[in-house]
Amino acid sequence: MTPRLDLLTRLPTDFGGLSAGRVERVEHELAPWEKRCHALADVLDFHKIINTEEKRRGVEALGAELIGKLSYYERWIVAFANILFEKSILTPDQLERKMDEVSTRFNSASAE
Amino acid sequence: MAKHDHDHAKGSASDYVPGFFEIMEMAVGELLVEKQLIGAHEIRRQIEVLDSRTPALGAKVVAHAWVDPAFRARLLENGRAACEELGITFYDDTGLIVLENTDKVHNLVVCTLCSCYPRPVLGLPPDWYKLKPYRARAVTEPRAVLAEFGTIIPDDVEIRVSDSTAQVRFLVLPKRPAGTDGLSEEELAALVTRDAMIGVVPVEFHGDCRSSQ
Repeated sequence: MTPRLDLLTRLPTDFGGLSAGRVERVEHELAPWEKRCHALADVLDFHKIINTEEKRRGVEALGAELIGKLSYYERWIVAFANILFEKSILTPDQLERKMDEVSTRFNSASAE
Repeated sequence: MAKHDHDHAKGSASDYVPGFFEIMEMAVGELLVEKQLIGAHEIRRQIEVLDSRTPALGAKVVAHAWVDPAFRARLLENGRAACEELGITFYDDTGLIVLENTDKVHNLVVCTLCSCYPRPVLGLPPDWYKLKPYRARAVTEPRAVLAEFGTIIPDDVEIRVSDSTAQVRFLVLPKRPAGTDGLSEEELAALVTRDAMIGVVPVEFHGDCRSSQ
């Protein structure tokens, strides 16, 4: 199949069977925010707000370029935000305002 | 100072400036709490659950299966129910299939689409399990992948690769190493590593003198 048609049959996260480099046994202790993000995913699943399948599809929907450029939990939180917008649970405006508020809180704390 | 207690409760030192995505994570969490869609302490409690899950749980299951044939049979029949017998709770809706390694079959677990993993019994997966090389190649050249972990599987042993899904997770029941007849269940569990339960390495026993018979 040509590379162009291959894109039709393969999702950006569907790596099975592709050629790739050597497996390096890398691992890292999660940063506190990464662990919170993982816990958030579980809590969203418990409340049937976003289940595991929806999360995976949300990551796929970011597209190959963004998937390649964001880290694992960066992809998750961006996918959650997009899904919550789609479900009309949050609006982009609400998130932007809340992010400003959180950011201001930290900036004023660090200014002391 | 006291007015910043709330910030400190979030784990931030006063000179700590979170990055963009961390701010997004905090903002999403706070908005969901404000809208009463999730409880204020649920994320904290789930972090405690995540921290309580380590490969030691899986190792306990494996060691018990090695010493108790009836449990082993139940474990292979219904992985989740057998783990629950040992007091391991499943905090999600996933099923668990336990795959037994034998002289004829070696099992390997992967998630080609993302990073599905038996988290209730092993904790969170290592980075290499979530990265492209392992996910891409495990299904088509498992022997080469295993060799990169230092594991050489004889040609007459079949390799079965199981691809995890959101609903179904896999745990490998490794072969009990030779020379371990005199070990207690706890000593056996101490030999079982996370990577052996993913299927990328065998369980090894080097005849520690403490347990010599």
